[in-house]
Amino acid sequence: MAQLKLKGVYKRYDNAERSFFRKAAQNDFAVKNLSFACEDGEFVGILGPSGCGKTTTLRMVAGLEEITAGDIYIGETRINDLLPKDRNIGLAFEDYALYPPLTVYENLAFNMRAQKKSDAEVKKAIDYVAPLLKVEDLLGMKPPALSGGQKQRVNIARAIVRRPGLLLLDEPLSHLDGKMRQQLRHEIKRMHHEIKCTTIIVTHDQMEAMSLADRIVIMKDGDLQQMGAPIEVYDNPVNAFVAGFIGEPPMNLLSSVIVRGDGGWLFTFPDSDLRVEVPQRYHDVVSDGMRVTLGVRPVDVMVANIRQRAARLLSRSTKIWETRGESA
Amino acid sequence: MEERLESKEGSRMRKTAMSALGTFGRNLGLTLYALFALFPLVWMVICSLKSDAEMYNTVFRFTPTLTNYTAVLLGTDYFKAFFQNLAVAGGAVILTILAGVPAAYALARYDFKKKEDLAFQILSFKFAPEILVILPIFIIFQRIGLYDTYFGLIWVYQLITMPLVIWVVRGYFEEISVEVEQAAQLDGYKWFDVFFNILVPLIKPGLVASGLLAFIFAWNSFTFPLVLSGFKIQTMTITSLRYIASDTVHYGQVAVASLVAVSPEIIACLFIQKHLVRGLSFGAVKG
Repeated sequence: MAQLKLKGVYKRYDNAERSFFRKAAQNDFAVKNLSFACEDGEFVGILGPSGCGKTTTLRMVAGLEEITAGDIYIGETRINDLLPKDRNIGLAFEDYALYPPLTVYENLAFNMRAQKKSDAEVKKAIDYVAPLLKVEDLLGMKPPALSGGQKQRVNIARAIVRRPGLLLLDEPLSHLDGKMRQQLRHEIKRMHHEIKCTTIIVTHDQMEAMSLADRIVIMKDGDLQQMGAPIEVYDNPVNAFVAGFIGEPPMNLLSSVIVRGDGGWLFTFPDSDLRVEVPQRYHDVVSDGMRVTLGVRPVDVMVANIRQRAARLLSRSTKIWETRGESA
Repeated sequence: MEERLESKEGSRMRKTAMSALGTFGRNLGLTLYALFALFPLVWMVICSLKSDAEMYNTVFRFTPTLTNYTAVLLGTDYFKAFFQNLAVAGGAVILTILAGVPAAYALARYDFKKKEDLAFQILSFKFAPEILVILPIFIIFQRIGLYDTYFGLIWVYQLITMPLVIWVVRGYFEEISVEVEQAAQLDGYKWFDVFFNILVPLIKPGLVASGLLAFIFAWNSFTFPLVLSGFKIQTMTITSLRYIASDTVHYGQVAVASLVAVSPEIIACLFIQKHLVRGLSFGAVKG
């Protein structure tokens, strides 16, 4: 069990084109001044679009990438210079990375074999973990014979069988199809309840992050955008990116001008006579003529009773229509 | 209903008849091809059993004799050549694996400047005809004392064996995810352990297939041993020429020599054919 702390972490990949005679242009930072902390036993999701530096962050914690600048602590120990094996972490790779020549049992045992644990200890540890991820029937098989979902279970089982202080999951569900994804998501949640190990999950799927994590770190272009509980980032996004990124279907972002109305402040919109009241909590910060972006969650929009007006509004603005069952 | 059943039955019978005919046709075709492919071997066996007098007689009727076998196998030091051939070809393949597998790993895993150029350069050794490089090598070998030595031949055989092994094994390494190695690193293993416990079993099909093919190529090599050895070290390919005397050619003895020379290859191919095809066509290494 452990806390994880990142302090001003930077990462820049070396440019492969560099040569002795010609210094190639340096790459941009993949991760910029990243600082956050995870409490003991917490489940933290790192969420962001592709290429935002989330997997790089995870790999730096695991020790598979060098840290360009900054410090990473597990508990009180600075781990920058520790070898991956000395960091007491379990990492489930995105592409499973199982050992194909070994059986599932030996895959799970591989780490303990390196530590020269006795056969009885190995068996005990595997007997505990296998039912957690429902891999007990697979122990005699070899990885090439497994399906994607089975491989991922074994992968996660291998990461937790050593009882790590910190469990890192790199896009564990991205290769699975819908049903399997949901099922494994529940199992990961259950497993976390059971072993209560500090866990970081990297994902680009907000459903995964929202449903699994206690807190979410949202990243974009190597920068931390916001960190908070799922409902907090959903209700109070700090900027337009987070607002647009969290929520499915995405939030509508409308540019608007504030005007002083009879009963209070109003949002007005160009090319429309629609007026929306400014909520009470923003009254202190708005002023007349201020340009703002108004975010409206689709679930909060209701087709009103004033038929003509709604019809006119819809006919003007509806460009794409997706059928989604109960929500449209 | 019954009628329809009957007609179904009929069509099934027709189908069975068709497939039986198809099987027969396929077997006939394969038999004909086998006759075509095996004929030179059969002809060689026949030649080896004929006396010199009957050699030019193309009728299949002749009195079989073992004189050629006794002359070659007992009368000359042909077995010595056999084992010397085994030593140089085997030595060449061992050296190739010791040096080529790490090279293949480096070409697959590391990014360095001109990597593809280097890989292509290695492959290009196979493009040059041996006869093109043999003269300079001959002169150099004589100067530095490698002429007519085991090591000299083993070294020069690398031109034949190394590119093959490097290119096949490199493909295997590239198929293996880097993350497998990183997972093992997290599990607390040194690179060396990972290499032998995880990577070697994965590349084994390719290594065995390309190694055996390389062995066969080295075993068959003619130009290099012809020019670069001849007194102390004689490979079988060279020794077979000895039965062509200045006045007469002992075709029967040449046939015996060739038969002995190809026998290890035939035996090896019968045993490893399946692995050879699978090993050279990749696959089944993904975890």
